[in-house]
Parts: sequence; structure tokens; C-alpha cells
Amino acid sequence: MNGWLAPKYLIWLLQGFGMTLGLSVTVIVTATLCGCLLALARTSRTVPVRRAAALYVLVFRNSPLIVQLLFWYFGVATLLPEAAMTWLNTSHAVDLGVFKLHWPSFEFVAGWIGLTCYSTTFIGEEFRSGLSGVPAGQHNAAAALGLTPLAAFVHVILPQAVRIATPPLFGQYMNIVKNSSLTMAIGLAELSYSSRQVDTETFKTFQAFGLATVLYILTIAMLEVVLVAVQRSGSRATVRR
Amino acid sequence: MNDALSAILSNLPYLLVGTFPDGPLGGAALTLVMASISAVSSAILGLAGGIGLAMTRGVSHLILLAGIGFFRAIPVLMLIFWTFFLLPVLLHINVPGLATVVAALSLIGGAYLSHSVHAGIEAVGREQRQAALSLGLTRWQAMRHVLLPQAVRIMAPSFINQWVSLVKDTSLAYIVGVPELAFLANQVNSRLMIYPVQIFLFVGLVYLILCTSLDALATRLLLGRAQSAEPRVTAPAVAIVPSPD
Repeated sequence: MNGWLAPKYLIWLLQGFGMTLGLSVTVIVTATLCGCLLALARTSRTVPVRRAAALYVLVFRNSPLIVQLLFWYFGVATLLPEAAMTWLNTSHAVDLGVFKLHWPSFEFVAGWIGLTCYSTTFIGEEFRSGLSGVPAGQHNAAAALGLTPLAAFVHVILPQAVRIATPPLFGQYMNIVKNSSLTMAIGLAELSYSSRQVDTETFKTFQAFGLATVLYILTIAMLEVVLVAVQRSGSRATVRR
Repeated sequence: MNDALSAILSNLPYLLVGTFPDGPLGGAALTLVMASISAVSSAILGLAGGIGLAMTRGVSHLILLAGIGFFRAIPVLMLIFWTFFLLPVLLHINVPGLATVVAALSLIGGAYLSHSVHAGIEAVGREQRQAALSLGLTRWQAMRHVLLPQAVRIMAPSFINQWVSLVKDTSLAYIVGVPELAFLANQVNSRLMIYPVQIFLFVGLVYLILCTSLDALATRLLLGRAQSAEPRVTAPAVAIVPSPD
């Protein structure tokens, strides 16, 4: 309980925090894109597409994230051909002049795919409830103005749906940040993993977990601030119109 | 594939109940036990928190809100770490992994449910409260006999969602070595080495069956009865409450 952490361990924790942020941002981007597609598939007019999307949601929503991550990490490794696995396990870098872009570790890729597949179901459902929250009159009004179905969707329905879905969407982004802690089960060196590691090395349990907890709360608070800013700018845009 | 099937079948009793008759309970049965205990305690905490949010004003309201916000902002895993690794250091007592996970899940589930309960009470409406008060009921009586019975129907979907996600979240006990389903699955996987795909697919399926049957059962028990008791209740409107997870 005495003293603060040595700089070396602080750097470990910050590196872990960087990993948590990097993983969360990549998952947020891909899960948002896939979630849009999923919401469209669930509202599709083709029955097989709608059924397949519903099945996807049922399966990925009702099994624990940790089992899914273990599946992607241990299971897929045996399914892929040997050559692909050795390629994934060796390091690759793309030289972009100013900085080098490193291909991430297999742990990161497995965590990224696992988190994306899991979060897509939740984000897709938020988009879907956003879409169904737009009153039917808006569809009819857009059609009456002579807009094609696509133009009506892009210019009339989507902006309103996004506004309805924004607060729950940010709730899901917060869940992604929190759920990224589970990737420590497959050995990704993110914030929870590094706080556990600092704890075993220094026995300064309180400081290690305290700092990690504060960093998590800061991230969630930042997302909350972004949400308020987005909502403010959105409401100003409506007033101007 | 047949070898994988027979490998899973020979490990099936172990995955479902652990070493039960001879040793402690484990596997899917332990998952269910943990989920049930944390479901009950998170429901109690959530009711207390929600009523607290509805009854308090000013500073005490803000303190309560901050406490609930804390549990909503940190990952379950972090809370498990706090109780599992810190309590022994601070209090020199050994906390069993099972208890820490149940405590963490109850606190976090309770924090989420507090907001659902509060929202349910608010949704019943100011008029009901004022009517109850003008009939001479005290604030507690109004809450107990007028507001809560109506709010329960509005809150039911959130409770069901929370319970389903509790079943999934018990798998976090894997991290602190509690022998529940996910932990045993990983154990069996490292023992057999060659069937990771089949084992994790099978375990995922077991969780899927647990979660969907719990969802269906709870919906029938909570909403089915409420609907037959009062057919005017508009169930579809509350069925799309976003899940807290």
C-alpha cells in the first residue's frame, strides 16, 4: 500500500491503455459499418435475408463474448491453413514514409473479429429501432414529394433515424470499451491485462487497479462528452433549417 | 467429426455438472446457480436503487447517481479484480472466486436495473402519485401500493434482458478460475488439444439454449400474466426497450 508505481510500470499501464483505445476504435468503426448492413438486412423485403440476419443476432447475442473470443482464438487457428497461420504470426510492416504501419498480432486480430461480430448485433438492433422510430408519415410524405425510394431513405429517413439512434449507439460504444477488457482472456496486452501484470510484479494492487479503473472511467466520460457535443450540434442544425 | 462428437459426449457430464457427485458442483449447473443468485440480488439492488432515485432530491440524489454511474462505467472484469485481488490484501481474508463474481455481477446488474426501475416509476406518471397523495397515502405507501405495481409491468423487459445477460456474464468467472462452463470448456480444450472448434461451438450452443429458454420463460411468467390480468396494457410498446448490455 506504500508509495506510487515506478515509471516503468506506469508506462506498462499506458501501453495497455493505448491498446484498449486502439482496439475499441477499430471495433467501433467496423461494428458500426456491419451494424448498418445488419439493420438493412433485418428490414429487407427478401425473406431468406431477413431470416439469416435474425439467426445471426440470435446466435451472437445469446452466447457469452468470452466463449466467442476463445472460439476465434483457438478454433479458427486450427481451421486456417498452416501457411496463413505462419503469415499471421510473423510480423509485417508497411512503410508509409512518415511512419511504419505494423500488422497487429494474432491476439489483436482474433479480439478485433470477436468483438466486432458480438457488437454488430447490438449496434444493428439500435439502428433498426432508430429506423422503426421514424413515423410512417415521413415515408409517405417523401414519396408524395416525388423522391425515389433511395433518395427518400438517404435524405429523409436516415437523418432522423440516426438522431433517434445516437444516444443508445454511444451506450453501445461504451460497452465496446468495457468489453475490450475480456480480450485479456486470449492474452492481448490491453489495460486489464497490464494492470494484472503490474499487480503481480509490484504487489501494489491498489495503485495498479486504481489507475486502470480511473482510465476506464475517463474513457467512458469522454464518450459521454462527445455524445452531448454531437446532440448539441444536431439540435442546432435543426433550428437553422 | 465422429471422433470429435464422441470426445464431447465423453466429456458431457463434466461440462454439465463438473465433478458433482464426488466433488464440488461445476459446469453449466454452476453457471445456472451463479446466474440465479446474482439475478435475485441484482433485482433487489436495482429496486432499492430505483426507488432511491425516485424518492431523493438534491445532494443525496447526486451522490446516489454518482455511485450508480461508477458501477455502470467500469468493466465487470475490473470489479472482479477489485474484490478478488484487493480484499485479501486489505482485510487479510480470502474471498472465494465464486463470491467475488456473484458480488460484482449483482452490483453492476443492480446499477443498470436502478435506472430501468427509476424510468418505470417516472413512466407511471405524476398524476398517479398526486392522486395517491391526495387520498391521504404517505409517500412510501404511494410508492408501494400505487406506483410500483404499475411500474413493474413497464420494467419487466429490462429485467428479462438483464437476467439473460447475467447468464452470459457468469462466464467472466473464467478469469478467476471458478469451474463454471466457460472455464471447464477451456480445460477440456487444452486437454484434448485437437477439437477447439467443436468444443467452443458446443459450449456456445449450451449457452444459447440456456439464454433463449430463460428469455422465453421469463417473458411468459412476467408479461404473459400481466397481459391476461389487464388486457389494455400495450405490450409491444415496451418490448423494444434497448438492452442495457
